[in-house]
Amino acid sequence: MGVEKMDCTNWDEDSYRDGILQERETLSRTVFRTAFAPNPNPNPNSDHIITASSDGSIASYSISACLEMGCGSARGRNWLMAEPQFLIQGHDGPAYDVKFYDDSLLLSCGDDGRIRGWKWNELLGSEVSMEGAKMKPILDLVNPQHKGPWGALSPIPENNSIAVDSQSGSIYAAAGDSCAYCWDMEKCEVKTVFKGHSNYIHSIVSCKLSNQIITGSEDGTARIWDCKSAKCIQVIDPGKDDKKVSFPSAVSCIALDSSESWLVCGKGQFLSVWNLPARECVSMTKTNASVQDVIFDNNQILAVGAEPLLTRLNMNGDILSQIQCAPQSAFSLSLHPSGVTAVSGYGALVDIISQFGSHSCTFRCRGL
Amino acid sequence: MDLFRKAILHPGPPQDFALQTVQQAIKPQKQVKLVQDENQLLENILRTLLQELVSAAVQSGEEIMQYGQPIDDGDICRGQIPRLLDIVLYLCEKEHIEGGMIFQLLEDLNEMSTMRNCKDVFGYIESKQDILGKPELFARGKLVMLRTCNQLLRRLSKANDVVFCGRIIMFLAHFFPLSERSAVNIKGVFNTSNETKYEKEAPDGSSIDFNFYKTIWSLQEFFSNPGSLTPALTKWQKFSSSLTVVLNTFEAQPLSDEEGSAINLEDEGSNFSIKYLTSSNLMGLELKDPSFRRHVLVQCLILFDYLKAPGKNDKDMPSDTLKEEIKTCEERAKKLLEMMPPKGKEFLRSIEHILERERNWVWWKRDGCPPFEKQPIEKKLAQETGRKRRPRWRMGNKELSQLWKWADQNPNALTNPERVGTPAIMDYWKPLAEDMDESAGIEEEYHHKNNRVYCWKGLRFSARQDLEGFSRFTEHGIEGVVPLEILPAEVRSKKYQAKQADRSKRAKKDDSRGSLQQVEESQSVTPPANEIDMDGSRNENEGSGAGGESDGMIALSVDVSQGDTSATPDEHQKQSSDGDADGDGLEAGQIEAEVGMNNTIADGEMDAEADLDVVA
Repeated sequence: MGVEKMDCTNWDEDSYRDGILQERETLSRTVFRTAFAPNPNPNPNSDHIITASSDGSIASYSISACLEMGCGSARGRNWLMAEPQFLIQGHDGPAYDVKFYDDSLLLSCGDDGRIRGWKWNELLGSEVSMEGAKMKPILDLVNPQHKGPWGALSPIPENNSIAVDSQSGSIYAAAGDSCAYCWDMEKCEVKTVFKGHSNYIHSIVSCKLSNQIITGSEDGTARIWDCKSAKCIQVIDPGKDDKKVSFPSAVSCIALDSSESWLVCGKGQFLSVWNLPARECVSMTKTNASVQDVIFDNNQILAVGAEPLLTRLNMNGDILSQIQCAPQSAFSLSLHPSGVTAVSGYGALVDIISQFGSHSCTFRCRGL
Repeated sequence: MDLFRKAILHPGPPQDFALQTVQQAIKPQKQVKLVQDENQLLENILRTLLQELVSAAVQSGEEIMQYGQPIDDGDICRGQIPRLLDIVLYLCEKEHIEGGMIFQLLEDLNEMSTMRNCKDVFGYIESKQDILGKPELFARGKLVMLRTCNQLLRRLSKANDVVFCGRIIMFLAHFFPLSERSAVNIKGVFNTSNETKYEKEAPDGSSIDFNFYKTIWSLQEFFSNPGSLTPALTKWQKFSSSLTVVLNTFEAQPLSDEEGSAINLEDEGSNFSIKYLTSSNLMGLELKDPSFRRHVLVQCLILFDYLKAPGKNDKDMPSDTLKEEIKTCEERAKKLLEMMPPKGKEFLRSIEHILERERNWVWWKRDGCPPFEKQPIEKKLAQETGRKRRPRWRMGNKELSQLWKWADQNPNALTNPERVGTPAIMDYWKPLAEDMDESAGIEEEYHHKNNRVYCWKGLRFSARQDLEGFSRFTEHGIEGVVPLEILPAEVRSKKYQAKQADRSKRAKKDDSRGSLQQVEESQSVTPPANEIDMDGSRNENEGSGAGGESDGMIALSVDVSQGDTSATPDEHQKQSSDGDADGDGLEAGQIEAEVGMNNTIADGEMDAEADLDVVA
């Protein structure tokens, strides 16, 4: 609230009301995914971070600019609202995922069932694109609708997550109709459909070496698929034999390590580590809150969930450390090769944690 | 001089020929001991000889301690210079010549030698430490030795010759008595010139968290001058917030065993560095280095120890909140040290041990550096008693054994009616109660409230027997704990005027009755004993809100009543006890009704009644 707005001589109640509403909305927004932008020069500097928020906006923030604004030192509960480098209306409804394709194309997907692609250089280059909401994507893929009797069409299923395999030129999408789709980037059409899950799919990763994909679904299982045959090779049901995980819960997140031989699944409050060649569960760990995102950091696992903590575990599932982070509930975790981690989630908060484990900056994303 | 030169080459132990040579050279007045001038002469000869030997050694390019053909001395072979030193040391030790001579020679030798040779010379000194440290030699040479060592330390590089520096310091520590205070930093001055410089501005393209970099290095400023923390609270807050960030980070990124062991392999003397480099590019590596983290954490512990140490006056003591903060930080730091590989637990234990010793030294310094040497008289006593054959006591000594047996010998001790038990608080507090009577005119000096042992014991009794009274301690101090019943009426009334203030209002309404009469009357009113507690507590509540002009009047009226009856407090009690006899006959209900009406009456009479109950 600026001073001029509070001036009662020319009181504008509408703008005052809008201001308050906007503030409330900002506080209740969620950043569903962050991604570090690729850096062309060899300097391992993680400067740009792209966010996908629940209002459908895709925005990019410069960490050094945020630090200059003073987001670094401001600890406590009042995080500064950072100014994005650009902000586009990516999707109608929430945007769920952003990924880079070949370092030049920014892909996003969302509740509207679309996968959209933007040229990264154009986004960065357009200085006046602060209100680039009207920017046109160079790629727009829509999930197919299921046909019912008498020509009835199902609603367009949403995309919860995307995975990229630039070598084979495909994008994998985890869709809400319990199918995963493989899109051909050249032809912009669906190449393969992976059917088998009994509920919608939360997350998807691609194994480039073995030409497989792994999906994690609401039905409580993760499945490994062969991309060529679109057949399910293996169903992984974490905690099937374990009495501790009796309640039905979804596989909300999965992650592969860089050698693509280890898989970690987050199911409810449990994290399970699997060895893919052996197809065996190596360890199972219970965390305090349900796990919402997980990634590998070399031979360690980083996990976040419905608590303001970033947990670091080893492969045996022993908790090595827990770092307090800003979002009360963290939905996304991304790791830069230099070791910088970004945790984001509820409250439109993004917390950048340096490779030493110190908070280098924390900011609140701007809404549309 | 030639005589000596030959003597050095002479094989065999020095005692065979040394004295003889001196006698030949100097032709002394006395047979075995040289006088002043002769000493001077000998010293000149020896110093010249030493100088010649050293210059010859330097010209020949040999190490000076190995120079010359080795002389066979029993089973060890030595160069000429150590040989000369051995002979002189022997003479000094036997007091044939002046004791300071050997020290003079050693100083000369050190000054003439290069650093590398000094190491050998110092090795010689270390090997002869026992002889040099003998009291008669020590007294003559301690200053020269100190000078020599300090000179050496000054010549050495603090960064490169740490081991040698350490040797010298260790030697000094052994050579001088434990309580030698010449090297003590008596005032506890900090070396504030040891400033740690670090980058203030982030270099371009820096990939590290620069804020954190600044935070961790800014701590050094406080570590180098801990004294700056205590007076300024803002500084402490800045320090503690920075420290919290650092500790959080250390906790967030614990080191794995591999990282710990990787460092351990190259942990050798050659890698020892006196100061870490502060380049921001090194930050990541340094944070992975357990010894770096240990340095920071140990610095913390040292700082906390300093903060917790007692200052010169009580004003310097940290406040309670500060203490609490220090404690939590210290615990965190210790936990981190413990968890840090390699061998965190062992490391922490040794650090704690060292710090403990350091604390002892601090206390020692605070007490004015008293000498540790025990007086010889005490020693003798101890020896005498030691020589006697003492009977062996089963429990270690006579007293303990007697205590042990005592119970067997006195089986009925517990039931013995004459056994000394805890006194009842009523009896115990009587002396203080009497002192509180101002009419008794007890001088402040003899007042029981100033007897701290008495008060402390009393508080313990009260805590056991009379919790309610004990609770009054916080509000009224020690005098509040004294049971009201045994207080003199006058004191009682003064203390609890509030009730009487209420009563005075009633007195105003009811003018037909004089206040004096009322006091007397009220004293004969006897509410039941079980009401006392309730009234007592209410009394307290009202007591705090007391005030107003009526107070003076009441105090006066009580005085009058006392004056009239000319009764001592005891007599008052007797009077009320008479009334009590009547009151007891009443039905409880009636009494309660009466209490309801009269519960504003001063509690004096109730207390008196309670007292009677206790007595009865």
